[in-house]
Amino acid sequence: MSAFSNLVLSPMLLPAMPASTVVLPSFSFHEFQPLLPAALLAITAMLLMLTEAFSVSKSRSYQAILAVVASAVAGFLAFQNTQLPAGLILNGRGVMDGFSSWITLIACLAAGMSSLLALGFFRQRNAERGEFYGLLLFSAAGMSLLSVSNEFVTLFVNLELMSLATYALAAFWRRGNRSVEAGFKYFILGAFASAILIYGVALLYGATGTTQLDMLYHVLPKALEDSPWLVWSGIILVLTGLSFKIAAVPLHMWTPDVYEGAPTPVTALMSAGIKAAAFVALLRVILHIGDSSAMLLHILCFLAALTMVVGNLLAIAQRNVKRMLAYSSIAHAGYILIGVAALFAGGHLGNKVGVLSATQMANSTAEMLRSSALQGILFYLLSYAITVVGAFGVLAAIERREDDGAPNAWDLSKLSGLATRRPGWALAMALFMFSLGGIPSTIGFLAKLYLFKAGMSAGLIGLSILGVLASAAGMYYYLRVIVYMYMRPPTVTETGIRHWSTEFILAVSAVAVIVLGILPGPLLDWLSQASLFSPN
Amino acid sequence: MSVEIILFFVFSVCTLAGASLVIFSKSPIASAMSLVATFFFLAGIYVLLFAHAIAALQIIVYAGAVMVLFVLVIMLLPLKDLGPAFRFTPARWIGAFSAATILSGLLYAAMQWDEYLKNKLPLGTEATNAMSPETLSRFGTLEEIGLAIYTRWLFPFEALSLLLLAAILGAVVIAKARI
Repeated sequence: MSAFSNLVLSPMLLPAMPASTVVLPSFSFHEFQPLLPAALLAITAMLLMLTEAFSVSKSRSYQAILAVVASAVAGFLAFQNTQLPAGLILNGRGVMDGFSSWITLIACLAAGMSSLLALGFFRQRNAERGEFYGLLLFSAAGMSLLSVSNEFVTLFVNLELMSLATYALAAFWRRGNRSVEAGFKYFILGAFASAILIYGVALLYGATGTTQLDMLYHVLPKALEDSPWLVWSGIILVLTGLSFKIAAVPLHMWTPDVYEGAPTPVTALMSAGIKAAAFVALLRVILHIGDSSAMLLHILCFLAALTMVVGNLLAIAQRNVKRMLAYSSIAHAGYILIGVAALFAGGHLGNKVGVLSATQMANSTAEMLRSSALQGILFYLLSYAITVVGAFGVLAAIERREDDGAPNAWDLSKLSGLATRRPGWALAMALFMFSLGGIPSTIGFLAKLYLFKAGMSAGLIGLSILGVLASAAGMYYYLRVIVYMYMRPPTVTETGIRHWSTEFILAVSAVAVIVLGILPGPLLDWLSQASLFSPN
Repeated sequence: MSVEIILFFVFSVCTLAGASLVIFSKSPIASAMSLVATFFFLAGIYVLLFAHAIAALQIIVYAGAVMVLFVLVIMLLPLKDLGPAFRFTPARWIGAFSAATILSGLLYAAMQWDEYLKNKLPLGTEATNAMSPETLSRFGTLEEIGLAIYTRWLFPFEALSLLLLAAILGAVVIAKARI
C-alpha cells in the first residue's frame, strides 16, 4: 500500500505536504510522443476554425484538403508510435502502447476518409464550412486521446471531447425532421450515457479511493471483498455507459435513427472511428476492473451474443440501406465483443465458464491468447473502418439532392440497376457488401476468421459458432443489395453527381478491401507486434 | 448525534426532495426553481465535506449562471401541455427494472456502509483518520485545488480546455439557422 500511497489520487493526501515543497511534475519528451497525433489534429482544427473567420477566398475546398493532410500526417506519426514500448505516461494519467497507436491510426484514417467524402458531398449541397472539418478533427483528436487514457477522469473528458464534436457534426446539416432528430437524440442519449458512466466511476472511487485504472486493478480485489455491492454497482454502471458508445444491445436503440439522420460522411466517421475508440475504452476498462472476475466474462459473452443476434435480425427487416448498415454496425460490434471476451478469457484458463463458452484448448498460454485476440480485434476494427467508409461513400455518392430529408432517400429501390448506370460504383459497393458479409478473398472474411479463431482458442467455442451463424444470416441482407444493383432494372434514371474525391475514396477502399484480403501478411505482422499495457 | 450529522440529514433530505420536485413539477419554471434549491442544499453537503471552494463554485456556476440559462431557454420555448408524458411501454418497463436493480444494489451497499467504515478505511485513502487541524484548515482551499489541477491533473485539465473549445464550436454550428 505504502508504495503507491504518494501516487494515489485522493485529495486527502495532498495536505500532507506543505505548499512550499510541492513537487512540480517533470515530463520527459518521450511521454508526449503518443500525444503528437492528437496535438496535430487539434491544432489543425483550430486553424480550420480560424479560416472561417479570416479567409477571404470564395472557394472552401482547401479546408477539406487541409483536414485530409493533417489526418494523413497524424496517421503517419501514429504509425511511427506503434513500435513504442508499453508504459505509463504523464503521471499515470495516460498510457503508451502499440494498441493505442493503432487505434489513433484508425481514427486518423476514418477522419481523413470522411473529410474527403464530405468534400464532394457538401460541395454539391453548397454547405462547406470550416467548422465542419474543425469539429471532425476535434472528434478524431478525442478518439486518439481516449485511446491513451488510463484514468477515469481523463477517459471521461476525452470521451466527451470525441462525443460532443460528433453530436454537433450529426446535426451540422439540417434538412427535414430526421437530421434534427438525429442530432438531438444522439446528444440527449449520449449525455445520459455519460452521466451513467461517471456515476459508476464515482461509486468505484468511493469503494477504492482511486480513479487510475492500473491502481484500481491492484486494489479492486480487496474492495470486492469489503463492499461487493458498491463495486458491482459501479462496474455495471460503467459498463452500461460504455456499451452505449459501442452500440451494444440493449443500448443500441439510438444507432439507426442517428446513423440515418446524420449527414452520410458523418455516419461514416461514427461507424468507423467512434466505434473503434469506444472499443478501446471498453477494453482498457474491462482489462483493469474485471480481470479477476469470471462474472464479468459471463456478462461480456451474453452481451456479445445478444448484440450479434439482435443486430442481424433487425437488419434483415430493413429496406432502407442506411438503416440496414446501422443495424449491421450493431452486429459488427457484437463480433468485436467476441474478441474482447477472448482477450479477457485468458485470465480464466481452465475454468468452465457458462453455456456459451467451453473450456479452453490445451497448449495455448494466456500470453498467446491475449496477443492473438488483440491482433484479431485490431485487424477487425481496421477492416471494418475501411469497408464501412467505402459503403457509406457509395450511399453518399448516389444520394440525390431532391431526396434530401425525404424518408425514402436510401430505399433499396434507389440502388436498383446501379450496375448499368454506374458500373464502377456498383462493383465497389458489391465488394464492400461481400467484405461486410465475410466472403473469402475480401478483408472482411479474414477479419472474421482471425476474430473467431481467437475466440475459439480462448475457449469461447459456443460464442464463436454463434458468431459464424449470425454472420451467415447477415449475408442475406448484404446480398440483397447486390441483387438490387445487378439484377433489377433501374427505377431512377438520374444518379448522384460525380466528384473526384468520392470516386477516389471508393477506389482506394475497394482496392484495399481486395489487396488486404488476399495479402494481409505485412499488416498482420505489424499488428502482431502491437503491445498492450497491462498492469501486472 | 453531532451537529454535522444533523446538518447532513437536513441537507440530504432537502436535496432529494428538491430533486423529486424537479421531476414531478408540472410547470417548467417550478422545476427550474426546485433545481436551484437542490443545488443550494448540495452546496451545503460540500461544505460539510470541507470542500468550501467547490461549494462556492456550485452556487456561483450552477445556481447562478446555469440556472439563468435554464430560465432563459424555458422562456424562449413555446410550451404546450403535451398530456401525460409517462406511459409504460415495454422498453420503459425494462428501464424501470434496471433502475430498480441498481437502486437496490446501492441501498444494500449503503446498509453495509456503517460496518465497512468501522473495519476498513477506503483502500486508496489510508490517511482519512490522520487529518490534523492544520491539514484540515488548508483542505479544499482554492490553493490546494490549484496545486492539484496544475500538477497531477495536468493532462485531463488540458484535455478539458480542448473539450470546451469543441463544445463552443459545436454550439455555434448548431445555432446557425441553416447551413
